[in-house]
Amino acid sequence: MKIEMFHLCPYRDLPEDFREKNRSVWVDVPSHLFDAEIASRTYNETLDELMYGAEMGYDGICVNEHHQNAYGLMPSPNIMAAAMSRETEDVAIIVMGNSIALYDPPIRVAEEMAMLDCISGGRLVAGFPVGSAMDTAYGYGANPALLRDKYAEAEELILRAWEEKELFSFDGKYTQLRYVNIWPRPMQDPCPPVWVPGAGSIETWNHCIDKGHLYAYLSYSGFKRGKQVMDGFWKVANAAGVDNPYHAGFLQLVCIADNEDELHEKYAAHTEYFFNKMLHVYPGFSDPPGYRTVDTIKAGLLAQTTTFGRASNKEATFDELREAGNVVAGTPEQVTEQLRSVARDLHIGHLMILNQFGSIPHELAKENIRRTAQEVIPKLRDMWSEYEDHWWPQNAIVREGSAATPTPAD
Amino acid sequence: MNEKSVSVRNGNFQVDVLEGGSGNPLLYLHGIAGLEWTLFLDQLAEGHRVIAPRTPGFGGSTGTEQLLDIHDLNYFYLDLLDELGLDNLPIVGHSLGGMFAAELAAMQPARFSHVALAAPFGLWNDSDPIPDLFSISLPELATAMYADVKSEPAAALATAPQARMTEVDPSTEEGQATLNFLVERAKSMSTAAKYLWPIPNRGLSKRLHRVTQPAQIIWGQSDGIVPPGYAERFAAKMPNTAVHVVPNAAHMVVDEQPGHVAGLIEGLLAR
Repeated sequence: MKIEMFHLCPYRDLPEDFREKNRSVWVDVPSHLFDAEIASRTYNETLDELMYGAEMGYDGICVNEHHQNAYGLMPSPNIMAAAMSRETEDVAIIVMGNSIALYDPPIRVAEEMAMLDCISGGRLVAGFPVGSAMDTAYGYGANPALLRDKYAEAEELILRAWEEKELFSFDGKYTQLRYVNIWPRPMQDPCPPVWVPGAGSIETWNHCIDKGHLYAYLSYSGFKRGKQVMDGFWKVANAAGVDNPYHAGFLQLVCIADNEDELHEKYAAHTEYFFNKMLHVYPGFSDPPGYRTVDTIKAGLLAQTTTFGRASNKEATFDELREAGNVVAGTPEQVTEQLRSVARDLHIGHLMILNQFGSIPHELAKENIRRTAQEVIPKLRDMWSEYEDHWWPQNAIVREGSAATPTPAD
Repeated sequence: MNEKSVSVRNGNFQVDVLEGGSGNPLLYLHGIAGLEWTLFLDQLAEGHRVIAPRTPGFGGSTGTEQLLDIHDLNYFYLDLLDELGLDNLPIVGHSLGGMFAAELAAMQPARFSHVALAAPFGLWNDSDPIPDLFSISLPELATAMYADVKSEPAAALATAPQARMTEVDPSTEEGQATLNFLVERAKSMSTAAKYLWPIPNRGLSKRLHRVTQPAQIIWGQSDGIVPPGYAERFAAKMPNTAVHVVPNAAHMVVDEQPGHVAGLIEGLLAR
C-alpha cells in the first residue's frame, strides 16, 4: 500500500465564537477575520510540514484546491506543489487537484502540471476534481448544470494536449483553440497518472472506471461512512472486472499519542475545532441546482453527497468523532490495527492521511507526522503487495515492501 | 384545457403544450415554479385561446440538454412557434418566462402584437441586487415568492422535502415519491439556472429597446425574488409600456392576484 500525507493548509486561528457569529466557513466567510500575518505563518508552516512528511517517510504529499474557504487556503495548490517539487527529492507530488472545469482555457492546467512534472522530475500526480459546489458554483460562479459537461470536455482537451505528438485544433462546446501545442510537455510518458477526487457521485465512479483513473474518496466523514461510498464504487468497478485496490484511495484523519489522557489533552480541542468550526458550512451552498445529477438523486445518494463531512450539523465532541470514525486516534499499535482494517474493508491501495487538521499547531503537527510516518506507516506498507500500482508517478519513490510500479511498457 | 406533446426539430424536443379557451391565440410562458393550468390561465382563456408550452427541462418537456444558453433557448422557441403556426399574437411571460418573452419580442417584434411581462428576470443592477434564490432556504424562498406566507402554496413550498435534510429510503413508496419530487425539482431548477446562474443577466438590456409593441410591466408589490424596483428599469428600455404594481402579491403575482392581472392584460390588448 502507498500512504500519502494530505494537507489542507487550514487557517488555524478563527475566533472562539466563529460558529455562533457566522453562517459559513466557505464562500461568504467574513474577510475581516483574515490576517495576512497569520496566513503567512500558515503557508510557511504548511510547506515545512509537507517537507517534514516527505523526510519522515511518507510516499507522497498531497495538496488540494479550495476557494473562499478558511479551512483550505490553497486556491492554487500548484504554487505549493511547485515549492515541494523543488525541495523534495523522491516523494510523489500529488496535486489533488485542479478543478479543470473552472479554467479558461483548460490547457492552463495542462501547462502548469507539465511544468510541475518537469520540475519534480516526473513525480507528479494530476488530480482532476469536478470540484465542490462551494468552490465551483459559488466561489467561481460556474453554472452547476453545465459543470460536469465542461469537466468532461476539459479533461479530453488536457489529456490530448499531453498525449498527442502533433499540434491539433480543438473545437469544443466551451473551448475553441486553433493551435493546441503546449510547451512544456510532461516528463512522464505520455502523462502523469490521473487521480479523481470525488464525494460519492455515481457519475464519478463510472468515469474513473471507464477512463482508468484512480478514484479517491475525499471527505472528512471517516471510514464508517466511507465504507458505504467505497462499496458503491467497488460494485461498479467489479461489474467492469476491476478489483485492483490501487485503483482507489481514501482520506482519513489520524492522530497518535501514548495513552488516552495524552490523546485528549493534545488533540481533542483541535479535532473539535476542525469539525465544529471549519466544517461549519451554510447548507444552502451545498446543493446548487444541477450539481448532483438525476441518477445520483435517484439512487438515493443524498446525504453522502450533500452533507459535508458529518451526518448532522450539530457540534460534536472528540469522543463522538472517534466513535463515528471521523478521526482515527490512539496509540501507534491501535492506529495501525484500525488503519489496516480500514484499508482492507474499503479495499483501497492509497491511504491519504491528514496529520495536521483544524488548529493543530506546528510542533504538534510535526510530532503527529513523525509518529505516524515512523511508527504506523512501515507496518501498513506490505498490504496489497500482490497487486501492481498502475497509478503511481513513473519517477516517484517506491519504498521497500510496497507494490512495484509497472514500467510504461506494461 | 387539453394537453398535447409537440415534436420540435424532428423529435429532438418533445414539448408539453397546454391549451384552453377559444378566440384569438395568446402565448403564455411560465415561470420558475413550472407550469400548471391555473385559475389565472382560466381567466385569460375566457377571451382567448391560451397556448402555454412547458419549457424543456420542466415536467415532461425534453431536450434541455441541447440548450446551452439563452440564444439556443430563443431559437428553440421560434421553432416551436413555427411548429404551432403561431404568428401575430400577444405574448405574456411570467418570471423566467417573462425573460424569455422579452427576448422573443426583441428578436421578432413583428411576430408579437402585445407584450406583457410579469416579474421578469433578465436585468441586473448592482445597487438593487436580486437575491440568490438558489441558495436561500425553502422557508425564505416561500416568503420571497408569496405575499401571504400562510397561503396553501407558500406553506407547501416552505415545508417541501430538501435533499440535504432528507434521508430517503428508495425501497419504500414514500421514499420513491420523495425522490421523484426531488428529481423533478432538480431538473426544473437546473434548467432555470442555465439562464439565471450566477447572475440573471444574459445581455437583455442590449436588446430590450427592440420591444416596441404596446407593452405592460406587472409586478407584485412585495416580490422578494426580483425586487419591484426592476419594473421601472424594464420600462425605461421599452418605449411603449406601462407599469402596474399589484398590491398583496409577490413574485407569484399571476397566481396570487389572478383576476387583477388578467384584467390588466385585457386592458393591454384593447390598446
